[in-house]
Amino acid sequence: MGDRPKTGGERRSRRERLLHRAFVVPALLLVAFAAILPLGLLVVRSLLDQQTGAPTLGYYAQSLASAFFLRTLATTVLMALGVTAACVLLALPMAYVLARRTVLRMVVVPIVSIPRMLPFVVVGYAIVLLLAPYTGVANKVLVGAGILSEPAFILFDWPGQALAFGYSGLVVAIAVLTGVLMAVDPQLEDAAVSLGAGRLAAVLTVTVPLGIPGIVAASALIFSTIVTAYSIPVMLNSRTPYMVSVLIYNNLYSLQERHLAYAQAVIVTVLSIGVTASAQLFLGRFGRRG
Amino acid sequence: MTGRILLASYVALMLAILAFPIGLVVIASFQGGLEASFGNGQWSLDAYRAIPRQYWLSLRFTVETAFLSTAFALVVAVAAAWGLVRGRLRERRLVSALVLVPDAVPSVTLGIGLLVLFIPLGLANSFAGTVAALAVLGLSMGLRFAEALMEAIPEELEQAAVTMGASRLTAFLTVTLPLMAPGLAIAALFIFVHNLVTFELLLFISGPHAMPISVRLFSDIVDRGVLPQAIAMSAILVYVAIAFYTLIVMTLGVRRLAASPLSRKG
Repeated sequence: MGDRPKTGGERRSRRERLLHRAFVVPALLLVAFAAILPLGLLVVRSLLDQQTGAPTLGYYAQSLASAFFLRTLATTVLMALGVTAACVLLALPMAYVLARRTVLRMVVVPIVSIPRMLPFVVVGYAIVLLLAPYTGVANKVLVGAGILSEPAFILFDWPGQALAFGYSGLVVAIAVLTGVLMAVDPQLEDAAVSLGAGRLAAVLTVTVPLGIPGIVAASALIFSTIVTAYSIPVMLNSRTPYMVSVLIYNNLYSLQERHLAYAQAVIVTVLSIGVTASAQLFLGRFGRRG
Repeated sequence: MTGRILLASYVALMLAILAFPIGLVVIASFQGGLEASFGNGQWSLDAYRAIPRQYWLSLRFTVETAFLSTAFALVVAVAAAWGLVRGRLRERRLVSALVLVPDAVPSVTLGIGLLVLFIPLGLANSFAGTVAALAVLGLSMGLRFAEALMEAIPEELEQAAVTMGASRLTAFLTVTLPLMAPGLAIAALFIFVHNLVTFELLLFISGPHAMPISVRLFSDIVDRGVLPQAIAMSAILVYVAIAFYTLIVMTLGVRRLAASPLSRKG
């Protein structure tokens, strides 16, 4: 303790420090046991041959040389990029309205918050109820109204998966961006308006640029979630588009290529963390300049 | 004027999009559970009656593991926060970063890693293994809460109690902890809700003896397609979410919730 006189307190402060350290130990043990150890094991196994146990980089080389793996990875990244961009663009105006209109917020927040408290599987069931070819609400309404002559089979294809990911991304984007824009001082925007800018121009040139760090953070979160998502691709067909987590799962269970699956999981993790880290790096630069 | 109309229709469209899963699942659950229709549907409780015993067992398993892991994570987090904040330990940044690892790594990867570790230990497909997996994720959320809360409480209060003859433990339990309690309650609610909906982390270590409701509903739709009872159970999860939402609003207020860090990985 800083304010205690040093004389005679040397031994005691040492004991103090030990006591404080002792209280941190359970947390460290838990993290070591349930996060560091499993991840370490995963990395080590991915570097060992599954049959002989000899150290090898073969699984990484095999993955990175495999056109199929790379194509799957590219599909996944493309899907994640597209959905993330669409979500952020769609969510921004809503987040702005929520951040500025208190009355609306009282009504809307439950509708934004409750989906976040549902297991994603429930949302998957809802997507099926909405888009299923013959029984889905959307097809029944559109065919009934004569807009479509026959049901659209989009549920088990690109659009179905993109819509499902888009829904989850939209929920996250609106929540995060609302917080970001609430933190931007409305007076700055008002100042721009009083100086003659239109409201829309003020929002686009003052508020949104100030919110960019939050926008980047939200995008990184949505992107990395989609890249490693497993439930939606499998619930909706799992073949088109073929996502990388499905490929890993199939290697793990169906093909019994466990060590190959470990290596691929490491590759995807590095990709996902890399995106988040470069977003943070970008933010660091951005913050220093601003 | 047109701008206002455009904005209003955009907001209405977004609300319809956001609310559709809740609406469709609830409507379908009262119409036999296979499809939702507006207006002319036959209303019944058949789907709810068809919910098999395994679903209820899975729900109970989910609630029990979520509750235990939340309590465990918070106790560990508060202890660590006390050591880190009050001890002004040099390694504080390192510890905080380590604790965030489970949050930073994709759930699928951590799930596979846990499977690799748990199979030889006999913890895969077990209650204890599920609790450990949820607790480590809860800890990364809980420690952030606990550190911030602990920092907001002046150390002098604790020291005054010790000067007057209380033991360190008594001082902490009767002075600091009650001051942290409201914030900790909020943290507990967030972690608990998060634990209820966790899927990808638990998928790999789940099995017949450890089957959270999210994994149960997932494997049913994959193996057997949409079942009425699964829709009914989904609707029950919607009701649970609404109940928790109400609880959180009552303790926290709407303003904070709009911007809360309650993330979801799906």
